Amino acid sequence: MLGYTLRRVLWIIPVLWVIATLTFFLMQAVPGGPFTSEKQRPPALEEALQAKYGLNEPLWQQYATYMGNIARGDLGISFDGDRPVSGIIRHSGFISAQIAILSFVVAVTFGISLGTISALNHNKPLDYAGVLFATVGASVPNFVLAAFLSIIFGVELGWLKLLGWGGPPEISDIFNPSAYHPSKMVLPVVALTVLPAAYIARVTRASVLEVLSQDYIRTARAKGLSEFWVVMRHTIRNALIPVLTVIGPIAAILVSGSFIIESTFGIPGLGRESITAVQRRDYGLIMGTTLFYALIVAIANLIVDVLYAVVDPRIRYR
Amino acid sequence: MATQDAAVAPLFADHSDGIVRGHRGLWSDAWRRMLQNKLAMLGLGALATILVMSLVATQMNVVERHAPHDITTAKQLGPTGDHFFGTDQLGRDTWARTLEGVRISLQIGLGTQLVVLSLGLFFGVLAAFGGKLTDNLVMRFTDIMFSFPDLLFIILLREILNGQGIKFLTGTMVMILAIGMIAWTTIARLVRGQMLSLGERDFVTAARALGATRWRIVTTHMLPNTLGPVIVAVTFGIPTAIFAEAALSFLGLGIPAPAASLGTLVADGNRFVQVNVWNVVFPAGAIAVLMLSFTFIGDGLRDALDPRTRG
Amino acid sequence: MNIRSRGFLLFAGLMSIMLVAAAACSSGTSSGDKTKTAAAGGGKTPAAGATTSTGGEQAPAAQQKITIQSAEPQFYDPHRSSFEQDIGIERLLFRGLYNLTDDGKGGVKVEPGLAAAEPKIAGNVYTVTLKSGLKWSDGKPLTAQHFVDGAKRGCDPGIAADYGYIWGPGYLDLVGCEALQANKDAAQKEALLAKLGARAVDDKTVEFTLTKPNPRFTTLMAIWVTFPARLDVIAAKGDQWTLPGNIVSNGPFILKDMTPKDHATLIPNPNWTGKKPALQQITVKFIDDLSAAFRSYQSHELDMTRISATDIAVAKADSALAKEVLVNPTGRISSVEMNTQAPSKVLGDLNVRIALARAVDREALNEAVFDGTSTPATYWVVKGIKGHQGNEAFDSIIGFNADAARKALADAGYPGGAGFPELGIVVNTPERKAVAEFLQQSYKSVLGINIRIDQVDSPTRSARFQKEDFELFIGGWQIDYPDIENTLFGLFETDGGNNHYNCSNPDVDAALKIALAATSEDARIKAYQNMETAIIKNVCGVAPLYQDSLPFMVNRKLGGVVPNGSIDSGLPGNYCVECWFVKAS
Repeated sequence: MLGYTLRRVLWIIPVLWVIATLTFFLMQAVPGGPFTSEKQRPPALEEALQAKYGLNEPLWQQYATYMGNIARGDLGISFDGDRPVSGIIRHSGFISAQIAILSFVVAVTFGISLGTISALNHNKPLDYAGVLFATVGASVPNFVLAAFLSIIFGVELGWLKLLGWGGPPEISDIFNPSAYHPSKMVLPVVALTVLPAAYIARVTRASVLEVLSQDYIRTARAKGLSEFWVVMRHTIRNALIPVLTVIGPIAAILVSGSFIIESTFGIPGLGRESITAVQRRDYGLIMGTTLFYALIVAIANLIVDVLYAVVDPRIRYR
Repeated sequence: MATQDAAVAPLFADHSDGIVRGHRGLWSDAWRRMLQNKLAMLGLGALATILVMSLVATQMNVVERHAPHDITTAKQLGPTGDHFFGTDQLGRDTWARTLEGVRISLQIGLGTQLVVLSLGLFFGVLAAFGGKLTDNLVMRFTDIMFSFPDLLFIILLREILNGQGIKFLTGTMVMILAIGMIAWTTIARLVRGQMLSLGERDFVTAARALGATRWRIVTTHMLPNTLGPVIVAVTFGIPTAIFAEAALSFLGLGIPAPAASLGTLVADGNRFVQVNVWNVVFPAGAIAVLMLSFTFIGDGLRDALDPRTRG
Repeated sequence: MNIRSRGFLLFAGLMSIMLVAAAACSSGTSSGDKTKTAAAGGGKTPAAGATTSTGGEQAPAAQQKITIQSAEPQFYDPHRSSFEQDIGIERLLFRGLYNLTDDGKGGVKVEPGLAAAEPKIAGNVYTVTLKSGLKWSDGKPLTAQHFVDGAKRGCDPGIAADYGYIWGPGYLDLVGCEALQANKDAAQKEALLAKLGARAVDDKTVEFTLTKPNPRFTTLMAIWVTFPARLDVIAAKGDQWTLPGNIVSNGPFILKDMTPKDHATLIPNPNWTGKKPALQQITVKFIDDLSAAFRSYQSHELDMTRISATDIAVAKADSALAKEVLVNPTGRISSVEMNTQAPSKVLGDLNVRIALARAVDREALNEAVFDGTSTPATYWVVKGIKGHQGNEAFDSIIGFNADAARKALADAGYPGGAGFPELGIVVNTPERKAVAEFLQQSYKSVLGINIRIDQVDSPTRSARFQKEDFELFIGGWQIDYPDIENTLFGLFETDGGNNHYNCSNPDVDAALKIALAATSEDARIKAYQNMETAIIKNVCGVAPLYQDSLPFMVNRKLGGVVPNGSIDSGLPGNYCVECWFVKAS
C-alpha cells in the first residue's frame, strides 16, 4: 500500500513534465501571441517588446529556460501587468478553494442526503421530488442558472449581492469575521453546487438502491435490527464506494475554479485567470494554471484511489 | 491502481456469480426489460419525436414554418401563434432555430460518443491486457489527457482545420473531434476497470481452466459483459457532450454561424436574458428534454443490462 | 407506474412555474416598445446633461463614494499602456501637459493641462512652461525634468512602450527618438538618451526639439505616453512601482489599493494642485461580462457601468433606468474590411467591392444589432474630428442600394452571384458575429452569394489580420488622438504599416503626399479629405458600416459625468474626474 502510494506520487513528476511540454508547444502553435494587436507596431518597437520578455529567442531555448525555472520553483511572470504567476495562483487559488470547499461540502451533503432519502423512499413522492431535482439540476447549463438566479434574487428581490466573493481575500483574514459577507457567497455557491449535487444524488440513489437489494441487508433486517441501524451501519457505508469515485473528479473540477461562475459574479478566482490567460495568450500564466490544475487532478485521483482501497479491501493494486 | 478505474464499475457492475448467458439471451432479455421500463420508453419516445421533428423540419414547411436563418425586423418577440418560440435579436424564428439546434447538438452528441467509444475501447483494452508497463503508461496517458489544456487545443484545431476547404471537416466535425479527443478517458478507465474485475470472476477462471484461448475469453466472455456499462456511459456521455459544446459556445468557440447548436442558442440567448427571456427558455428547455430523455434511457439500459434483475 | 407519471407531471409543473417566474422577470421589456435612440454624439441624456458646476447640490463628503465598472487594466504605467481600460483609469491618476476635453458639440478640444499655456514655437523647437507649484502625490515638486524623463521612457526600447511610436517619426518626430528606439547596443544607450531632443531649461520650462514643425503638437502631448515619469521611484521599485503603496502619480486621484481581477480603490491625491475633486473614493470593479455588470447595476452594487448594446432595450423599457443611460460616442469606425489581394482574387475587382459595400442596409443593421445606438456610416473619418465629411459625401458612392449592388456584381462578371466563390469573414465577439450574420443574410438576399463566418478568439483574429490571412474582416479603427491624420496615415497608402488591405491606389498615395507636405492647416485637412474620398470611391480595403457608441449606465445621483466625445471611451468624462460628484439627495 505504501509502496503503491509512493510509486503513484513519483509518477506525478513525469506526467507533469509531459503536460508542461505539450502545453508549452501547443500555446506557441496557437495563432497570436501575448502582444498581438490589430494595430501594427513599428518593427523596432515590436522587437524591443519581444526582447523584453525573451520571446525573440529560439523556441527550444525558451523551453529550456522555462523548464529550468520550473525545476527551481519559479513559475515566471504573467504578461498581464508583469505580476508573478505564483502570486496569481496563490491569490486566485485561495478564492477558488473557498468556493470549492463550500460548494463541495454543500454538494456532497445535499447530494448524499437527497440520494439516500430518495432511495429509502423508493417510488414514493419524496423519491420523485429527489429525482426531479437531480434531473432538472443536471439539465440546465450553469451560466443560465447563474443568470436566472442573479435576476431573481439580486435584481428583482434584492436579497443577495451579485458582485464579488464574500469570503476573506487573504489567508491571514480567515479568522476575521468581518471578512465574511454571506450575501455575496450564496449565489456563486448555489450556481456551482446544483450540477454536482444532482450528480451525486443520482449516483447515491442508484448505489443505495443496489445495496438495499443485497442479501446482507435482508439478513440484517431479518435479524430484527431497526431500520435506522440497517441504514446507518450497513447501507450507507457500502453505498458510498461508488459515490467516492465521482467525488474525486468533482473535487478536482471545483478546485480548478469555474470560469463561467467567476466571470458572472466578478470573482477573482483561478477559473477566470486560467481562461483569460488563454484568451490573452499570457504564456506564463497558461503554463502556471495548467500545471497547477494537473497537479490537483493527480492528487485528487491519488486520494480517491487510496481512499477507495481503504473502504473496499478487495481492491488489488497493480 | 485498479481502484478508481474499477471504481466506476460497481455502479453498473455485473455482480452475477453464475455462468454468463449466451450473447443473444443477454440482449433479448435486456430489450424485454427495457420495454417494460415506462420512463425509459418515455425517454425513447420523446427522443424519437424530437429527432423526427427536427429531421423532417428541413423537408417540410409545415413543421419548420420559417427559415432558421432569415433575418427580419420582427425582433425579440415572445411566443406567438406564428412564432411558437418567439424570435431572436435578428428577428429569426426561434422555433426553426431550435429544431436546427437539436439536429446539430444531436450530431455533436452522437458523433462525440463515436470518437469516445473507439478511443476508449482501444485504450481500455490495451491497458487491461497490455502488461503492467503498458497499463501504467496508458493510465498516465489518460491522466495527461484529463489535465490537457483543452481550450488551447480546440483553438488550434479550429485554426488548422477551419477554412481549409476540406469538405468533410465542417465546423460540427471539428467540434466532435475536439470534445471527443478529451472525453474518451472516462470510457478507457471504465473499460479497463471492468476488464480487470471480470478477469477475476469465476466464469472467466472457469473458461481459462477449460483451456479457452485468451482471444476467445476476451471476445465471448469479457467484451459482451463490458459493453453494458459502456453503453450506459455512452448514453450519459451524449448530454455531457452537448453541455461541453454549450460551454464552448459561451466562450465564443461554438460552431460557425449562422448554423447554431442548442448550446450556441442558449449562450447567445443568455446575453439577452433580460431583453427577451424566451431566447434562453426554449433552447435550454430543449437541452433539458434531451438530457432527461438520455438520462431515462441510460437508467433504463442500466437496469435492463443488470443481470441481477434478469428474470 | 402511474405514480411515476405523476412524478413527471410534477416536474412539468415545476418547470412551468420556473418559466413563468422567469417571464415575470422580463415583464415590460418585450420588444414592441423600441424607442429611437438619439444619435451618438448628439445624445443628451439627463445624466449627460448635468452641468459640471458643483454648486450647492453636492452631498456631504462622507457620501462622496462611488463604485464603477471597468475592464481590468494591464498596466498602471502610462508609458507602457495601450488598452482602453488602462487609459481610462490612468487619466484619473496621471495628467500630462495638455488635456483633451469635450467641446460640448460632440467634438474634442485641446486645453493646457499641467502646461501654463500654449507652447512657444521657434522653428522646430517647442517650449512649454509649467503651471506653478505642481507636485507629485508624494509631495515632491513636479518639474520639467520629469517630462523629459517621460520622453526618455517613451523612446527607450528597454521599456518597450506600446505607444512609444507617438514620439517617433511621422508623429511627434522628437529628435533622437528614432535612433534610440532602433538601438540594440546597450553601450550606446546612454549617449543616445543624452541626444534626445527633450531638455529641461529650468524647473518650470521644458523644451522639445522636433525634426520638423508639427501642427498637432499639443494634441499629441495629451496622449498618455507623453506623461511625466518619476525615474527615481521606478528605479527603486522596478516593475512593482505601480503597485499600491509604491505608485507615485500626479493626477487628481491616487491608487489606494488594488486586487487583480477584482477591484482598485482610488482616493483623492492630497498634493493635487488643480481643482479639488468632490469624490472621496472611487472603487473600480473589474468586470468583463457586461450582462453581469448591468445586473449588478440594477441591484445597486454599481453606480456606473458600461453595458452591452443588447441591454439598452431593457434600460429603455424601465422609466427610471431610461433616464440613466449615457451613450458615449467613440472615435471608432467599424467596417467590412477587405483584403484586396486575398487568394480568391475577386476582392481585387472594384466592382465586387462596390457590390459588397452597397448591399448592406446600414440603418437596418444598426437597428438589428445595436438597437439604434451606433451611427450608420459610409464615412471613414469619425464624427467629432475636424475634417469629418459625413455620410452625405459618400452615400451616393457606397450607400445601400440593392440595384446598384447587383449591377456592380454583374459588371464584375457574376450576375446574380453565379460563379462567385464563398468568402470567409473573420469575427471574434458575439456582437461582431451578429453583424456578420446580418451581412451574410444581406449578401445572400441582395447579391445571391454566400459568405462563411469564421468566429475566432481575439488574438487569433488579430494575428490573422496582421498576417493578412483573411478575405473579409469585421474591424475598424479606433483613433489614438483626435486628428484627421490618425484615421488615415499608415492605413491606406502603398506599404503603409497598418495597410493590411493591400490598398494601393495612386489617388490615395498622392493625396497623402500632399497632406504630409502641407504647410497650412486648411491645406492639410483638405488633402486628407481628398484621401478619404479616394479611399471610399475605390473601396480601398474598407466599406464603413457604423461609428461605434458605447452605452453606459450612470446613476442619477452622480453628477458631472459627461460623454467623452471621441477622446477615449473607457470611462465617460474621465478627463475631468474632479468634476464628478454625488448629488445631495
